[in-house]
Amino acid sequence: MLELNGLRRTYGSILALDDLSFQVPAGRVVGFLGPNGAGKTTTMRAIFGLTELDAGSVRWNGAPVGQAERRRFGYMPEERGLYPGMRVGEQIEYLGRLHGLNASGATAATTTWLERLEIADRRDSKVETLSHGNQQRVQLAAALVHQPELLVLDEPLSGLDPTGIDAIGKVLLDQARAGCCVLFSSHQLDQVEDLCEQVTIIDHGRLVASGTVDELETSGTQRLVVRVEGDRTASWARSIPGVTVSEVKGSAARLVLADSVNSDDVLRAAMHAGRVTEFSFERRRLSEVFREALA
Amino acid sequence: MKVLYIALAAWALAAVRIFMFVRKRRGRAAAASAAESSRAGSDPGGAGYFGRWTRAWASPDRLGDVGEIAMREIKERLRGRIFRIGTLLILIVVALAIIIPKLSSSGGGGGGSTVQTVGVLGGLSPGAKQVVEAATATTKDKVTFSPESSLAVTKTALRTGKLDMAIIDGDEVLLYEPAALASSPADPTLVQNLAAYLGLLSAYHSARLTPAQAGTVTGAAPVPVRTMKPGSTSATKSTSVVGLVLLFFMLTQYCTWILIGVMQEKSSRVVEVLLATVRPIQLLGGKVLGIGLVALGQAALVVGFALVVGKAVGSDLLNGTAPLVLLCELLWLVLGYAFYCWVYAAAGSMAERQDQVQTLALPLSIPILLAYIFSITVASSGSSDVFFKVLAYVPLTAPFCMSALVGLGQVTWWEFVCSVLITIAGTVGMATFAARIYRGAVLRTGARVHFRELFVRGQRPGPQLSPASGDSAE
Repeated sequence: MLELNGLRRTYGSILALDDLSFQVPAGRVVGFLGPNGAGKTTTMRAIFGLTELDAGSVRWNGAPVGQAERRRFGYMPEERGLYPGMRVGEQIEYLGRLHGLNASGATAATTTWLERLEIADRRDSKVETLSHGNQQRVQLAAALVHQPELLVLDEPLSGLDPTGIDAIGKVLLDQARAGCCVLFSSHQLDQVEDLCEQVTIIDHGRLVASGTVDELETSGTQRLVVRVEGDRTASWARSIPGVTVSEVKGSAARLVLADSVNSDDVLRAAMHAGRVTEFSFERRRLSEVFREALA
Repeated sequence: MKVLYIALAAWALAAVRIFMFVRKRRGRAAAASAAESSRAGSDPGGAGYFGRWTRAWASPDRLGDVGEIAMREIKERLRGRIFRIGTLLILIVVALAIIIPKLSSSGGGGGGSTVQTVGVLGGLSPGAKQVVEAATATTKDKVTFSPESSLAVTKTALRTGKLDMAIIDGDEVLLYEPAALASSPADPTLVQNLAAYLGLLSAYHSARLTPAQAGTVTGAAPVPVRTMKPGSTSATKSTSVVGLVLLFFMLTQYCTWILIGVMQEKSSRVVEVLLATVRPIQLLGGKVLGIGLVALGQAALVVGFALVVGKAVGSDLLNGTAPLVLLCELLWLVLGYAFYCWVYAAAGSMAERQDQVQTLALPLSIPILLAYIFSITVASSGSSDVFFKVLAYVPLTAPFCMSALVGLGQVTWWEFVCSVLITIAGTVGMATFAARIYRGAVLRTGARVHFRELFVRGQRPGPQLSPASGDSAE
């Protein structure tokens, strides 16, 4: 398990991390969300000692993280880092060896990951000749070649087509199922929702929400979708104290209920207004959770 | 100089010993690895998710982080077309520098076998004829004698180039213009010998020596000449100048590799991936070591090639102490690289684009350039002053200035060792300073990093990134 405790970092007058604490449990894919400038990249760099902290600590399985631990971590930075003129296979092998693999182990692992990421045919190509998507795959292979215990990926899905997102998403899930800790940041909330079991949201360097996707989507105010035949204004709902009509689309009204409102009362009011053809509790989309957390 | 020979021999012996020791250890480690692999193979189900990899992490066939980084640098450099073509060009230039002077010395007017037409006015006595033949024999010139009828005809023949020189009445040598001039067809050595021999013959006649006495005097051998302090010959001086030129080009080339290499790692952001695994000093050390080994290999190849070609063609450039001068320059190339590579690495870590590199490279090259110009001037003129001798002990200029002094034979062994030690101490200091700059600057992206930003109060020298390569803390 990765533990980040009270991380604090300033750049001049900018407070990048403000007493940030959260955990990444083993075997989980954790989405790391936040608006631009929230401190996600700084947090990820702090895990690898690339940013010196003013305060706080990064611990792995209860012990402080040092070079020996980092050797067993995999990192994919936001701005991709590969030698443009080096061949794909050699590059991955080289990074594998820097992570401690021997020659044969690095070669075998490189072959395995290039095949899994479907770029085995580009092994002898120079990185600079590959498309953006394939460079992304090479970067991921470089992060995975030594079978890391912790995988930290900064925007791994940006710029990928749906096929690429599916391929990389499957790899991340497989890694987590095999026992790896996976922490990745993304602005593509739909993908995060599909991939992650757990989400951590930060803003201005502070933790604003954290939990499993289920917990976050079902927590907070209740939301209902009620469809009353022939009603296109949802005026029946507007008259109920504590009920807010957030959207009306055709005969379907999306309602937000205050804590004091009983959903049974809403159902009765709807039935009084006409024939109810749909009455369902709505889970919040992750994007809504995100916006509410930052509001 | 004997001490230098001994020191170089000791250094070579130590290098061989270290190589054998490392090889032996690696052999033992490989054997242990094989045994471990064999044990692992007998327990295929024993490895968990991380098991097979954790064994590899302690793998003995790895060179260590610095070794791995150095090996990548070596492979990349050797694979580069520019390096291979550049090496070939250097070898060609060195070969030409050795062969052309040899060919011109053997084919020119300086004692080579040229055809000389000598006019004879007033005839030659048998004795004079014998003397003239002896003089031509020493220069190996092919001499043709042309009897002339009058002084006017002789002068006309000299003016028109029909004659290269003329002997007038056996006691004068007449030339159209001084033999030392390049435009003169007369072999200056032959002219000098003819004049001396004819003068000697005239002196014999005046002294009324018998033929036996004249023979004794003519056959007199010069007494040996010894010097208490070894000096440089013109060949050694030429070798020194050639070595200084190579030293300048190679040192500039290797340091530029470091500069560009560090800048490219920074601009391609691969440095962030690397520093997530290895320490900054390991990354920098590996790069310096790798490029340094390529540099040493290339320089050793050039020096070895020069020695072989020089020996094969019998070049004067490698006579006497000239090979030792070349070896000293090789040593100073290593020391100069060891000092300057850190400077260039630190500069490379502060730049991110080609134009920024060029801005940084110019001031860095000034001390090298000045030391080179001073040294070439001194090596060519053959005399050095106190200021130049002081520069030979300053690490910035020592690689060139001390090499030049060695070429001139104006340095004792202890002065040489003293300069080496000062340069090594300076290198340690420079490496410490450069590593501090590198650590602070290589992960800063965006605008060019300035010295003040790295050392002002509140700025930490350790790894730190600009907030998300820009103005926000992503």
